[in-house]
Amino acid sequence: MSDLASPQNSPALAASPGVFARALRKPLWLRVALLAGVVALLEFYGRLYADPAFMSPPSLIVKAFFDKIAPQPKILEALWFCVAQIAAAYALSVVFGILIGLLIGASGFSRSAFLPIILLLYAIPQVSLLPLVILMFGLGPAAKIAFGFSHGIFPIIMNVVAGMRDVKELHLRAARSMGASRMDTIRHVILPHAVPSLFTGLRLGMTLTLLGVILAELYVSTGGIGYFTRVFAESYDPAPLFALTGCLAIIAVIFNELVRIAQNHLTPGKRRPPTLKNSVKE
Amino acid sequence: MSETAISIRNITQRYGAADESGAVLALDDVSLDIKKGEFLCLLGPSGCGKSTLLNIVGGLFKPTSGTCMVNGRLVDGEPHPDKVAFVFQESTLFPWYTVIENFRIALKFQGIPQAEWDDRAMRALKAVGMASFASHYPEQLSVGMRQRVNMARGICVETDILLMDEPFAALDEQTRMVLGEDLSQLLAATGKTIVFVTHSLAEAVFLSDRIVVMSARPGRIKTIIDVNEPHPRSPDFMLEPRFSELRNECYALLRDEIRATMAAQRDPQPQSAGA
Repeated sequence: MSDLASPQNSPALAASPGVFARALRKPLWLRVALLAGVVALLEFYGRLYADPAFMSPPSLIVKAFFDKIAPQPKILEALWFCVAQIAAAYALSVVFGILIGLLIGASGFSRSAFLPIILLLYAIPQVSLLPLVILMFGLGPAAKIAFGFSHGIFPIIMNVVAGMRDVKELHLRAARSMGASRMDTIRHVILPHAVPSLFTGLRLGMTLTLLGVILAELYVSTGGIGYFTRVFAESYDPAPLFALTGCLAIIAVIFNELVRIAQNHLTPGKRRPPTLKNSVKE
Repeated sequence: MSETAISIRNITQRYGAADESGAVLALDDVSLDIKKGEFLCLLGPSGCGKSTLLNIVGGLFKPTSGTCMVNGRLVDGEPHPDKVAFVFQESTLFPWYTVIENFRIALKFQGIPQAEWDDRAMRALKAVGMASFASHYPEQLSVGMRQRVNMARGICVETDILLMDEPFAALDEQTRMVLGEDLSQLLAATGKTIVFVTHSLAEAVFLSDRIVVMSARPGRIKTIIDVNEPHPRSPDFMLEPRFSELRNECYALLRDEIRATMAAQRDPQPQSAGA
């Protein structure tokens, strides 16, 4: 990988920026090179040295996906179930997180009254409550959705409140001087100001919802993904275990990307007119 | 010209209760008449209550005691957006709205019918030469351009009175001089009454008809200086000896006040009554 990276610093190449040299200067290549290098190392180590009961080279993991994961309707169904649970838990987190956040952030009084409670709840290491959650909600999807929801809602609440709080005094004063009513101010000043912070919360909330749902999935090993991971692990068959884990990782990446794309499209001020990005200086 | 637009009578502003140790007397019995069509500068050391006075005139703060009349109507802690417009620093533009949306929202808040929004906005933007940037977001403009837009937003609401609270404070000196010239040109044409808060001596002399020099906390009116020079003013005015004389006069008046302010911000001296 260092072979690919080092020409960036070579003065000879920097002085004559050909197509190839310019492509090399993009950070993407270094990133791809690093990942490729790690995969190659794992392959090398997995094939030559590792105990096949605990580790599998990447090529066998990919093969295991097509041989042992993809043809199994039960596993695919469990994966789909996982996706649906994440979506449900996240939808609940977003709706209630924004609602509660708006209510708490609406005034300094309600913020001082309620925010400490939220911070306290957020500080609890929730994993310790997982057995209790499963006891309450059973072994089905309800427990997983509940656990995902209880993870996802807090960062959303806190970021909505934070976004509403740090609205600029100058903007509020300007709005008031123009004759804005309280509702006008909330709608046109406080809420738009809170949008970037809201999206920070939505992204954190997504990460934590994923964590909550997948934790609960793995903990409940009588069905779903948790069951299959246990089967593969106990039969010393790491390739499909890694393949299944890889599927979860891909699901997580897709969900996170969806939120990121939504953020880029919906943040006001980020929808730029296409022209004159750099030419507008006086 | 001699008609009174703003009449300030015995305004006192105190933050915190009078017997509290942390109480601050920001304004102490200030009275002032501002004529219609006049450009008046409030000049003073920072913390002398000049912005407080402006906010009281604009109805954003309610004074502890005293009255303020604008066009014969009592202002008592309620803004009168139909009569008075504010221009603050350039960062007052809402960054989540484009330039034109910033104008529309100001006109909407003020209660202007929607049919007039774009017409008025474009007229004001043309007046400051920013019409071609109507669909840009504020952060895509330079600081100077943003402040021109921000001034135009204050103008488009078409009030008789414009209150400007250190509008050029964030600008570099060259830009602020050029914008000051533009402002002088622009406002000479409209005949608005303007109250302008600044701590720049040159700006005060260049723009005003009268300069109200205020004392350090508690804010009182120390002197009022007349600048007898017709509007619009050309940059040549700055080269005249009279400009420097007025500027020096202001500085001489302010220097003691600034020293007093700084002394109050240091460790308390045995005899001083620092805040």
